[in-house]
Amino acid sequence: MSIPLVPKLLRAHLADLAKEGKRHDGRGRFEGRKVELEVDCLPRAEGSARVRMGDTIVFAGVKFQIMTPYPDRPNQGGLMCSAEVRPVAGRGWEPGPPSPESIELGRVVDRGIRESGCINTEDLCIIPGEKAWQVILDLFALSDDGNLFDAFGLAAIAALKNATIPAERFEAGEDRPLEVSKTPIMCSYHKVGGRFVYDTDKKEELGGDERIHITLGDDDHVHSLQKGLKGIFTAAEFAEIMSEARSRCSELRDLIDQAVGK
Amino acid sequence: MGGYGDVQCIDENGIRLDGRKIDEVRPMSIEVGVVPVADGSARMKWGLNDVIAAVYGPMEAHPRKIQRQDRAVLDVRYNMAPFSTTDRIRPGFNRRSREISKVTAEALESVVLTELYPRSKIRVEIEIICAEAGTRCAGITAASVALAHAGIPMTDLVVSVASGKVHDVVVCDLNKEEDNYGEADLPMGILPNTGELVFLQMDGDLSPQQFQEAWDYNMGAAKVIHEVMVEALKGGDE
Repeated sequence: MSIPLVPKLLRAHLADLAKEGKRHDGRGRFEGRKVELEVDCLPRAEGSARVRMGDTIVFAGVKFQIMTPYPDRPNQGGLMCSAEVRPVAGRGWEPGPPSPESIELGRVVDRGIRESGCINTEDLCIIPGEKAWQVILDLFALSDDGNLFDAFGLAAIAALKNATIPAERFEAGEDRPLEVSKTPIMCSYHKVGGRFVYDTDKKEELGGDERIHITLGDDDHVHSLQKGLKGIFTAAEFAEIMSEARSRCSELRDLIDQAVGK
Repeated sequence: MGGYGDVQCIDENGIRLDGRKIDEVRPMSIEVGVVPVADGSARMKWGLNDVIAAVYGPMEAHPRKIQRQDRAVLDVRYNMAPFSTTDRIRPGFNRRSREISKVTAEALESVVLTELYPRSKIRVEIEIICAEAGTRCAGITAASVALAHAGIPMTDLVVSVASGKVHDVVVCDLNKEEDNYGEADLPMGILPNTGELVFLQMDGDLSPQQFQEAWDYNMGAAKVIHEVMVEALKGGDE
């Protein structure tokens, strides 16, 4: 992304607000923006979801390909997750090869899903050593008003949960739903005006410091963590956002269950 | 092009696979303001096509070598999302999307009053999130609505639509099967207020009569599509 023009003024403004315990849009410290979740919205994808959080809008689409299993894991399929933030998503996003920011996005979401074990790769095997399904999860940002991480994370798991393996099209048996046994959820906290807040918008991101992404699975197991950008945080700060993340993740998990009808 | 397989695209009563008559366009809807962070945007659903266009600018043109002293440049990108088709598309530009971006830019430059914004650029992003057939037409149409939604002065909107030929019958607004199994495709970009053209492509095989028929279908369809575009802009979000 290009270098933002007035971060100093913005930082000062956000710091002043923080002193009074406020955020620039009136939200509480750990209050998220309104979340909309729609599944099965892209007819050409085998699984899909659209998430809107405030003015941030993303899509996730699942496609399947037949792959040759890796020699050391002959009876396992694979999962590939990639995020693309194209210039459509905002002024600051430029055309060209994937930026480090969008690569980080894809990889952090990927780790949360992969490490939760929600997809049993052995279940994706068709003929051991010869054929297996590769699940490809593509994340696409349409409008970036901050916190693409959480929007991508939510869209990703929702799209997987309504995906159908298109076996008939590949002449590999009958179509069946992709088994997704767990619901990993990501919550991101960004330090703005000297304290961590949840679900930052673009202004807060531009005028903030470091960010921390936490992915929790069922029963609050931790599946991925990522600290991004320059900044220093204490153990006590981390403990506070971890406890906030536990309650927020369970709320979002309920939202997913409702949307996919489980 | 060519008759691979023996898919019957039109039945004996002149009804097409999707239930349309030969001179009918697919159902469509347009919504503006779908990319809240952009200066203007539009989403067009047209058959199974789902296309989003966003406009940023006018803004400073950089690098400076792309600047024009007397006008703005249009920086247009057409892109298909990886999950927009039956077989996944690898992300990134390819020859097809570059060509479509180029002809789309040239079509839109013909109507935008670029001389009002010297040395600047206007970014137009066209994203296909679900593809049926005629994505370039939907892209151009949605982009012209997005430009209008951004408040950029233009002499007219651009309506784009493709007619073609399947089993030797000329049909209006090709769907996927007709595009795959048909014998000709004639996409046009039409200025609805004057009937002038700013975009024209064709491939396949058409007799002079069939060509005229396809041309006339496009002109007729443009009127129908134009109404949907105007309605979307009137009932806009602001």
